Amino acid sequence: MAIVTLASPRPRPLISWRVRKLLVGYSYLVPAALCMLATVVVPIGLAIKMSLYNDVLYKPQAYHFIGPGNYVRLVQDPVFWLTLWNSVVWVFGSVVLQFVFGFAAALLLHQAFTGRALVRTLTLLPWIIPGVVVGLIWEWLYQPNYGVINDLLLKAGWMHDRVAWLSSPDLAMAAVIFTNIWRGIPFFAIMLLAGLQAIPGELYEAAHVDGAGVVSRFWHITLPLLRPIIVVATATRIIWTFNYADLIFVMTGGGPANATQITSTYTLMQAYTNLDFGYAGALSVVLLLVMLAFTAVYLRITRGVEETG
Amino acid sequence: MDENRTLSRRKLLHGLAGTGVIAAADLGWWDAPFIAPRKAWGAEPVRFQWSVPEPTRIALMNSLVERFNQSQKDFAVQIEYVPQAQARQKLISAISAGSPPDLCQVWDNWVGQFQGMGAVEDITARAKAWKHYGDVQATAWQTVTIDNKIVSLPLALTLDGIFYRTDRLKELGLKEPTPDWTWDEFLAMAKAFTKADKNQYGYGMRGAGTWAVLYPSEFAYANGATVLTDGKIAINSKEAVDALAWYVDLALKHKVTPPSAATDGFVEIVETFGRGVTSMYQHNSGSVGQQKKNVGADKFATLPVPIGPAKKRASYYFSETLTAFTGGRNKEGAWQFMSFMLEDEPSLMYCKTLGLLPARKSIISQPEFSKDPALSGFVESFPFAIVSPYLAYPGWGGKIDSDGVPLIQQAILGKITPKECLDRFADVLKKEMT
Repeated sequence: MAIVTLASPRPRPLISWRVRKLLVGYSYLVPAALCMLATVVVPIGLAIKMSLYNDVLYKPQAYHFIGPGNYVRLVQDPVFWLTLWNSVVWVFGSVVLQFVFGFAAALLLHQAFTGRALVRTLTLLPWIIPGVVVGLIWEWLYQPNYGVINDLLLKAGWMHDRVAWLSSPDLAMAAVIFTNIWRGIPFFAIMLLAGLQAIPGELYEAAHVDGAGVVSRFWHITLPLLRPIIVVATATRIIWTFNYADLIFVMTGGGPANATQITSTYTLMQAYTNLDFGYAGALSVVLLLVMLAFTAVYLRITRGVEETG
Repeated sequence: MDENRTLSRRKLLHGLAGTGVIAAADLGWWDAPFIAPRKAWGAEPVRFQWSVPEPTRIALMNSLVERFNQSQKDFAVQIEYVPQAQARQKLISAISAGSPPDLCQVWDNWVGQFQGMGAVEDITARAKAWKHYGDVQATAWQTVTIDNKIVSLPLALTLDGIFYRTDRLKELGLKEPTPDWTWDEFLAMAKAFTKADKNQYGYGMRGAGTWAVLYPSEFAYANGATVLTDGKIAINSKEAVDALAWYVDLALKHKVTPPSAATDGFVEIVETFGRGVTSMYQHNSGSVGQQKKNVGADKFATLPVPIGPAKKRASYYFSETLTAFTGGRNKEGAWQFMSFMLEDEPSLMYCKTLGLLPARKSIISQPEFSKDPALSGFVESFPFAIVSPYLAYPGWGGKIDSDGVPLIQQAILGKITPKECLDRFADVLKKEMT
């Protein structure tokens, strides 16, 4: 007689395999999420809270909730609108020309010539130098009384009077933008050069055989294949330029007469010169909203690029 | 072996000791304490924030701190050097975070804001019981007294005066100005000094930083204006507007200032004078040491600010202070070090080396200060020196930088009239009086 042994059924786990797998996955994210919470989400929350209070450090007795008071003040503050406009000029004036010259530099560096490695290294120099040092160097170059730029222009006979590049409200923004362009060209040059090197040479050969000219090859092969890099590099640079104001801070301090004052430097001034942390908080929140709006557009474009890719 | 030609251990030690003595004799005053061995005491630390880290000051402060640390066994001062441009910001952050240094070098125009924050230690009782209390000039005490409380010790004083090139004056055959010179004489000298084709200008006007607002304000006093009259803001009175108009005309009409005037700050006005671009500028005695190196002690002198049409003048009195904080952990150590810094030798050496004026009467009367032509303009300014009226309200310090400076820059550039400039600035200051 055969004896049949029945295996006892395995007890059903409290949490299913699928859920456990999910939980393990999420638990790996916990450290990063906690860091993000502590360094990004909480400070943003505190800045929003701060913006709703009359928080002037030297008037602790006047600290109280004022709701949207700081935002109303911001809307009525002509300097804020001036700084917002200056920020747009500063960001787009810088990034557009950085891109154009960076692209040209990338195309040149993509060609084969003697000493290319050295030239590529030298091209990176403005990007390697810290922003504060760049600011100080260019401040001295622009110095009207003993700066090199005026000296050369005078000696060349292209100018008769010394120009106060950073002291004239009409020239100061152009001068700092020029410096920023000089500094940012290598970023685009290197990014786009990497993209150019990834384009297969066969595509150009095939197009050449089909009779496509230089412009046509650039327009129909180079540009479309570089598009993802162009979008990412441009968007990243716009966000950086909007948020970081080291050059302006060092070269003009926002002057003369607020001609180069952008929203980031204005926020810093409200916080650390006037000790008005409530108003500075409101300015920071508005800056964040502007950047969020821009990022939303950016993500939309990037998704479009990925789909086409 | 010839004993005279051998180097015994004793001879070697004698030789080394002799070399050490010669080397020590060549060292500066500030190197002296580092030759003596540091005594290993278990002293309580005193955190001291110092915000003008340039080579001379660093050597000087290291030496003074070392002298203090070797002079007693209870406290050990530890200096935290902070760049001047970030000093205020870092201090505010530290106070807000509840961890201020025990002691800090602070300009008196900041102290009002810190007092408003409730962050500054009241040292009235200690100061009044201090042996040198009566020797400190009354005006110096005024600069550090808020709401009848003494909140700092005045380490050094500054007064504004006019630096001018004596060698250029001789080259041009001009008459040496006297301490009671007038606006007209000032303008005539500025015009004579100006040779734009040679990149030479009469007056290095300041357009950036707090003093871009304060210097024309001193000229306004010379025209009979005031900042506050009976507790009301008066910076836009007719006298003040006329004075500012005369001042900005130095740039706009007479063109005796460099083209960069609207953004020239402390560094630029000192540098352009040092490089021979300008032949006069307004500043305190803090740049005397630098000009002695740049221009040469025999090629420049100082004068009080000129007398204006109202037959008056004013020079603003500021103090470089040592300030302790309520949140500091070592208040006794902070007091011991701050009072040490005003002792005879530290105060004399600090002020002499940096070209500053000591707060104590018995020290300022010494020949190092009273007989130096580079300091005479400042010493002669004491009779009409006043505590800066802009210290009246704690919020004014920040508003000068955020609102006053851009307005003055617009006036210097001719973008707005002097009246518009002062009316708008008066509105800003009025809001901070409530």
